[in-house]
Amino acid sequence: MSDTPIDRVARATPIPVARRIRGFSDRTIAWIFVAPTIFLLLAINIFPLIWTINLSFTDFRANRPNREVEYIGLENYRRILTDGDIWLTMQATAHFLFWTIALQVLIGFTLAWLINRKFRGNDLWTTLIVLPMMLSPAVVGNFWTFLYQPQIGLFNYVVEFFSGIPASSFQMIGDVRLAPWSIVIVDTWMWSPFVMLICLAGLRSIPDYIYEAAEIDRASKWRQFWTITVPMVLPFLMLAVLFRGIENFKMFDLVVELTGGGPGSVTEVTSINLKREAFEKWRTGYASAYAIILFVTVFGLASIYVKALNKVKER
Amino acid sequence: MSDFVRDFLRLRRGPWEMLASLLIGLGVLMLMQPFALWAFTWSFLTTLAGTVMFIVVSHFPE
Amino acid sequence: MSGYSITEPSARQKWIAGTLVILYAVITLLPLAWILMTGFKSSADSISYPPKVLFEPSLEGYVNLFTTRTRQTPEYLASLPPAETWYDELVRSKDMVIAGPSRYGERFLNSVIIGFGSTFLSIFLGTLAAYAFSRFKVPLKDDLLFFILSTRMMPPIAVAIPIFLMYRSLGLSDTHLGMILLYTAVNISLAVWLLKGFIDEIPREYEEAALIDGYTRFQAFRKVVLPQAATGIASTAIFCLIFAWNEYAFAVLLTSGTAQTAPPFIPTIIGVGGQDWPAVAAGASLFLLPVMIFTILLRKHLLRGITFGAVRK
Repeated sequence: MSDTPIDRVARATPIPVARRIRGFSDRTIAWIFVAPTIFLLLAINIFPLIWTINLSFTDFRANRPNREVEYIGLENYRRILTDGDIWLTMQATAHFLFWTIALQVLIGFTLAWLINRKFRGNDLWTTLIVLPMMLSPAVVGNFWTFLYQPQIGLFNYVVEFFSGIPASSFQMIGDVRLAPWSIVIVDTWMWSPFVMLICLAGLRSIPDYIYEAAEIDRASKWRQFWTITVPMVLPFLMLAVLFRGIENFKMFDLVVELTGGGPGSVTEVTSINLKREAFEKWRTGYASAYAIILFVTVFGLASIYVKALNKVKER
Repeated sequence: MSDFVRDFLRLRRGPWEMLASLLIGLGVLMLMQPFALWAFTWSFLTTLAGTVMFIVVSHFPE
Repeated sequence: MSGYSITEPSARQKWIAGTLVILYAVITLLPLAWILMTGFKSSADSISYPPKVLFEPSLEGYVNLFTTRTRQTPEYLASLPPAETWYDELVRSKDMVIAGPSRYGERFLNSVIIGFGSTFLSIFLGTLAAYAFSRFKVPLKDDLLFFILSTRMMPPIAVAIPIFLMYRSLGLSDTHLGMILLYTAVNISLAVWLLKGFIDEIPREYEEAALIDGYTRFQAFRKVVLPQAATGIASTAIFCLIFAWNEYAFAVLLTSGTAQTAPPFIPTIIGVGGQDWPAVAAGASLFLLPVMIFTILLRKHLLRGITFGAVRK
């Protein structure tokens, strides 16, 4: 590190000359380069965060800025964490999280495995499959409400075509039992390619010689799959699952445009619930405490995610 | 296993990070489980403890 | 590798795998194809049962997307001078007249301004920071990098409460500048992490040679590192652009009029009696197509982008 030619030259040169040659010192440059980014993040992320923590101990309401603000200690937290309705919201989120991740892992891994059979044109098809995940979730969610229309929607028509259940007899979005599945389907449609891409990278990182050695040992294909393929792909899969978990825990745009949290509140995932508290009921202090709870959860998951990220990076 | 315990006692990063991760995971499960309200109530403290612990122990030596 | 290899799948396996993947691709692309098709349907065709695959193309959706119209009596329509343009004629054939342009153009333009503005800023700041993280010993480097990444993980709604208050008191709500700064803050973590990966791959020897030739660090950075990192910078920029383009939560909470972008606007397009699906589809098509094209351009770097540069393939 410190024994590059330039360092040797630098050490041998008197300081004023060195400065003329090299301009600022490396340390100064490092700070000049990093400071704007840190400053921006402090101003737009950290300062608001501290403000939120502060607000979470008050009964402030943003729609009545002139009302006297009272500090009520941990009351907001106590209320949220004993509230059965918020608990139900968490369960709606859990249903969404569990099924999207399960389906995406299943579909994503299968697709990656198939694509790794290296058939002709697999690159082209991979690129096409990936398209949905880069699109705007809000715009896509809004359009899926059209596909889910009972009489005229494509989705219901396709279901009728294959199963014989009349297209006008069920409403994906309007039905209390089906609505949680309607968001699972759209999210799975959008994000299975994400899991696929990461699994594909995992599969491609397995060197051929491991399989060749297994073949010499006469291990069956089935055994090879469970003792070589799965363990080698697992860190990559963990990465995908954690990332989808974090993203879907804070899911907002897709679900807002698709179901708006309804019917009733069966698809009211936490972000929508929080939005209602903060920007419709204007219970700002209460919503701030709620935000901090979500924030800490995501932050905890994010630290595990970064650990997983570094693990994959070492490969 | 004995390595794990030894590294744990010598305040090494690996096992402690594992423990913190488990605590965070437990907190998240408690937050979203449909079985008991008391677990939901205490989930936040569990996650918070895990997260703070993670930040601290990630500075332990390897 | 020549000859027979035991790890190479058999021809039959390849054929089966290929068929299944293509089948999945067709199913998964169907909704997208449906959006593009619906944009060219007439209102009647768009809501027919069973859904129409073959239809007479019409530009009604696109005309409705860009105009606001009022319904008129046949007598009034007969009293008007003959229609001057094809779109006037199209609208009049539905017993309506054009009242003026719609908001879609403005919203789309807002998306472009905010998208490009924030992308430029994130890339500018991100490149500098990434270079420093890649080349220098920055104190607390790992903590700073984790801090930068963690800001991206934050739930937008949770951050939105104080930002809403802050912007209200600074007069930044519903302004282009406010949204550009906000999206820059969201994107900069991705920019730093991705660009650090790209710059890490450029051998240090190039710069060291330049430094010995009498370049200063700044010059070496500008004339040696930047050109080498051009591809990386370009693909990072496209990623930032796509994320800013797609963002919805902040846009819907913090903008209402002047700086509103297209994603919160498109779902509000309504016609007479219910949503005007061809117009919505037309708006969505115009909005989604650039992203599809960019995705295809990015395909080599997609994996890097979605894993913050950790998986390089």
